[in-house]
Amino acid sequence: MKIGFNFTLGETLPLVRSLLASGRIDYVELLIDNFLAIPEEELAAGFDVPVGFHIMFSKFIENDAVALDSLASRLRRLIDRMSPLYVSDHVARFTHDGRQLYHLAEIDYAADYGRVRERVDWWQQRLGRRLFLENYPSILDGGHDAPAFFERLCRDTGCGVLFDASNAVCAHLNCGVPLEAWDGIIDAASHFHTAGYNLSILQPHLVLDTHDRALSDATMAFLESRRERFDTPGATMTYERDDNFDELDIASDLDRLRALFADDAVAPPVERAAP
Amino acid sequence: MTVMTQGRAERLIDANLLEALTVPARQGDYPRESRAFVRIDTSLRIYWHTLFDICPGLLELSSPDGLSIFRPFMAWAADEGLSLNWTYYLWVDVWLRRSPFAGRVTPELRLSLIGASAARWATGDRSEAGGIVLSGLDAADLVCGWKARSIDAGRQIERIELEDPLPAAPEPFGFFTVPGGELDGGFPGWTPIPR
Repeated sequence: MKIGFNFTLGETLPLVRSLLASGRIDYVELLIDNFLAIPEEELAAGFDVPVGFHIMFSKFIENDAVALDSLASRLRRLIDRMSPLYVSDHVARFTHDGRQLYHLAEIDYAADYGRVRERVDWWQQRLGRRLFLENYPSILDGGHDAPAFFERLCRDTGCGVLFDASNAVCAHLNCGVPLEAWDGIIDAASHFHTAGYNLSILQPHLVLDTHDRALSDATMAFLESRRERFDTPGATMTYERDDNFDELDIASDLDRLRALFADDAVAPPVERAAP
Repeated sequence: MTVMTQGRAERLIDANLLEALTVPARQGDYPRESRAFVRIDTSLRIYWHTLFDICPGLLELSSPDGLSIFRPFMAWAADEGLSLNWTYYLWVDVWLRRSPFAGRVTPELRLSLIGASAARWATGDRSEAGGIVLSGLDAADLVCGWKARSIDAGRQIERIELEDPLPAAPEPFGFFTVPGGELDGGFPGWTPIPR
């Protein structure tokens, strides 16, 4: 298992370089659409390790074709030049009725399937690459439809899933989506995310994908219970942190992941993560 | 870990709440102890933090929780059909100048709002443009936002005072974008800010 870290902002570059220098990470995941105004040469020379491309704000399900064509042409140049380990994007609602949703919403997996399938086909064609789509950290009951939705979408479009393990734990805690519902997705996936989450301010508490703290015991138990499903040849696991950039805390989590996926680690028996 | 599904009476999905995720008054349509209420609260808090964390000077005008600005502004924004895109802070400025707070809105506070919108454009825009120029406090005053031009740098916000003022911008604000990282391509004319 290659272990990586997300790089989203210039100010975290020293942290990313430190994690690379200490050998804690093997690759860097670039939130690539944050860096499109940087000269290609500089971006390509920025890291001497592999990179992944994570697209955050293409809004490819909602955006107009002209804007997406422009974005795709710039992304393709970078894809051709940097040969990322993967190119990933998001299945979520970014707007409603023309209004931006600052906390992205989950799509209606049943009602929106046709539209999403059409756009995934189109967006993959424009990018010239197989796309890996991230599962949403479900809050409400729609999350129950997500595993079957992604299995169908992969079958119909050839896309893959960028499976976010802690998002699946959020969905499990919030709406009871069984973790084993994702086993088929995990078996077919090679690229993974994981991060810390936090509780909502108000009760009844919701579990929110905040990327601001250490991995939960539940997430670690989920990863441990399926170590052999996750750790297949060519697999990547990106640890995401978008706030509270405490290097010791981050290094500790990366070390836990490294130990879990070490070649000589003893795999625990596969079982359901303890609630 | 405890699965939080207790007390759920009927299937509720995010799509059922879309109309309420940007409108504080709609939160009251749901029981205080419901997951829907907390889901909407979670959404609204992001708008709150996006405003007051970036422009804390607003809290000096309002009650300490900011709600005397936040709630009426968001209600007005919904009535006006504002997109809440990068212009979010500019429309807050517009609302403030028509509000009971109008007499207490300082040039510094207005500049913080204009700069915040320039920064939001610089981090969120995905077009090929490299920078945005916003009309500032008067015809000689410009606020520029520049996208990150290096992997070890973030977006830059810059205020420029011109010796020769540009033509007056449309109300409430005008903008134009520039392709590169410098203001050297001439003046293409103002575009009114989007709603």
